[in-house]
Amino acid sequence: MAGDAALPAWSNQFAADARRELSALGPIGALTREWAWGNGTGKGVRVAVVDSGIEADHPAVGGMVSGGVVVEFDARYKTQVRIFDDAAPRDPFGHGTACAGIIHARAPEAELYSVRVLGKDLTGRAMQFAGGLRWAIEQRMHVVNLSLSTSKRDYYGLFHELADDAYFKNVVLVSAVNNISEPSYPSLYSSVVSVAAHTEQDPLTFYYNPAPPVEFGAPGIDVRVPWRDKSYIISTGNSFAAPHIAGLVALIRGKHPELTPFQIKTVLFACASNVTRDV
Amino acid sequence: MNNDASKLLAEQLRQLVQTIQASGRAILPSSNDELLQTIVEAAARLFGAAAASIALVDEKNQTLEFRVAYGAGRAEIVGMQLPVDQGIAGYVAMTGQPLAISNVQQDPRFARDAAKKTGYVPRSILATPLLWRDRVIGVMEVLDKIAAPAFGMQDMELLALFARQAAIAIDQSQQFERLSDALVRGIKTLASADPSMSAGEIFAALERTGDASDVIELAARFYAIAALGDAERAMATRMLEAFAEYARAKKVTSGG
Repeated sequence: MAGDAALPAWSNQFAADARRELSALGPIGALTREWAWGNGTGKGVRVAVVDSGIEADHPAVGGMVSGGVVVEFDARYKTQVRIFDDAAPRDPFGHGTACAGIIHARAPEAELYSVRVLGKDLTGRAMQFAGGLRWAIEQRMHVVNLSLSTSKRDYYGLFHELADDAYFKNVVLVSAVNNISEPSYPSLYSSVVSVAAHTEQDPLTFYYNPAPPVEFGAPGIDVRVPWRDKSYIISTGNSFAAPHIAGLVALIRGKHPELTPFQIKTVLFACASNVTRDV
Repeated sequence: MNNDASKLLAEQLRQLVQTIQASGRAILPSSNDELLQTIVEAAARLFGAAAASIALVDEKNQTLEFRVAYGAGRAEIVGMQLPVDQGIAGYVAMTGQPLAISNVQQDPRFARDAAKKTGYVPRSILATPLLWRDRVIGVMEVLDKIAAPAFGMQDMELLALFARQAAIAIDQSQQFERLSDALVRGIKTLASADPSMSAGEIFAALERTGDASDVIELAARFYAIAALGDAERAMATRMLEAFAEYARAKKVTSGG
C-alpha cells in the first residue's frame, strides 16, 4: 500500500491501489464521454468563480471574463455584505485566476464571472463568501466553482440553505474539499459536487468515489496554473481539482441544457475513469 | 506580610507547581517568541525545509507580522509586516486554507518583493494557517523542500496537523502574556499592598478572580520569579499582594 502512504486522507480513495473499479449498469452504462461533452465548448454557459477574483486580461482566460462583482463585509446590512459591480475584474492573489484558467482550458467558450470575496478585511470572511455564493445563485449561474470553504460550524446552516437553494434553482455547485483534515462547508453537502485531488496529470482523468462525502477526484497535484500578473506557477491543492470538474460540468451543461444537477452528477459518474460502461 | 507568611506563600507556590508538573501540564516557555522559534525550527527539520517562518495576524491593523524565522533570509524577514490582502501568506490567512507552490519565482511580484526585502527567493513554499477555535491567528510557511522540487499533498496534511498543535501552544502563550500584561498594568495603578494580608487570603482572592487554570499559571510564573532569589521573591510577593488587593477591591465595587 505504498501509494496510500504518500496521500492525505481526502485523496486516499483515489490512489491506484485504493481505487474501486465500478460499473455503470442499464441505460446509465450507455452514456459516453462523446455523448456527454464531445465537441462541446461551453458556449452559452455561465460559470461563476467565487474566490479572490479573476485577472480578466490574463491570457489563460482568453478574454472570456464577462462580468464580476466584489463582495465586501458590512455589518450594517441585513446580509452583512455589500456587493459592487466589478467592471474590470482583477485578482490580488492569483488563486481565482488559477481556477478560472483551468475552467477555461476545458470549456473555452464558457462565460466566466469573477466573484471576489476576499479583500482587505479578515473579519466577516464567511459572510463575504456566503454573499458571493448567494449572488451567483440569484444570477442563475449554470456552474459555480467554490475552491473555498469554511470550517466554522456556526455557518453550517447558512451554507446548507444556500446549497439547497442552488440545487432547486438548477445551479450546480462544484466545491473543493478542505485541505485540512476537518469538516468544511459546503463541500460536505450531498447536493454539491465535492472534489479532491488525485495524483495524475491528465486533465480528463477523474474518478468517482462510491464512499462520499468526497465524490470525485481530479488533478490537483503539481498543476501548472495561471497566477497574478499574467504569470503561471505550479501549485498543489484540492482547490485546483474542483475547477477541472467545473469545466466538465460547463461542457455538459452547454451540450445538454435540460439536465438538472442530480442528472449531471449521474453523467459525471458514468463518465468517470474508474467506471466501466457498456459501450 | 511577615517572614513566616512569605515562607508559607513560597511553599504553597512550590506545591502548586509540583502539582502542575505531576499532572503533566507543560510549563510554557517564558517568552512567546521563544516558543515560536522552537516551533519554526521543528517545522523546518520535520518537513526537510531550508527555511521556515511564522507570521501572526494583527486583526486590528489587518496585517501579518513575521515574528520568527529559521534559515535563509531570517534576519531580514523577522519584523516584516504585510497587508493581509497580499501574497501567499495573505491568501492563507484570508481563506484558512493551506497552499503549496513549487516554482514560486514565476510569480513576478512575489519574486521581486522577496528579492528586494530578504534577498532570498525560494523555489517552493508550503503555507498553512495557524487555526485556533475557528480563527486564523497566523500563518506558518516552510520554504524550499530540500529533498524534492516541491512540497506534496502529504506535507500539506501533516503541516496542517503540526500547525494545529502549534496554534494551541501559541494561543496559550499569548493569553498568558496578556494576563501578565494586565496584571502589571493593574499593579502600576494600585495603591500599596495591605501588609497584614496572609498568603491564604491572597490565594483566596486569586481564586475568586476567575478561571482556575489562569491562577495556576500565574502561580507558576510567580514561583519562577521567586525562585531567582530573596529580592525577586519579595517582589513576586508584593505583586501577588497587589493583585489580590485589586481583585478584592474589584469584588467589593462590583457588589459581590
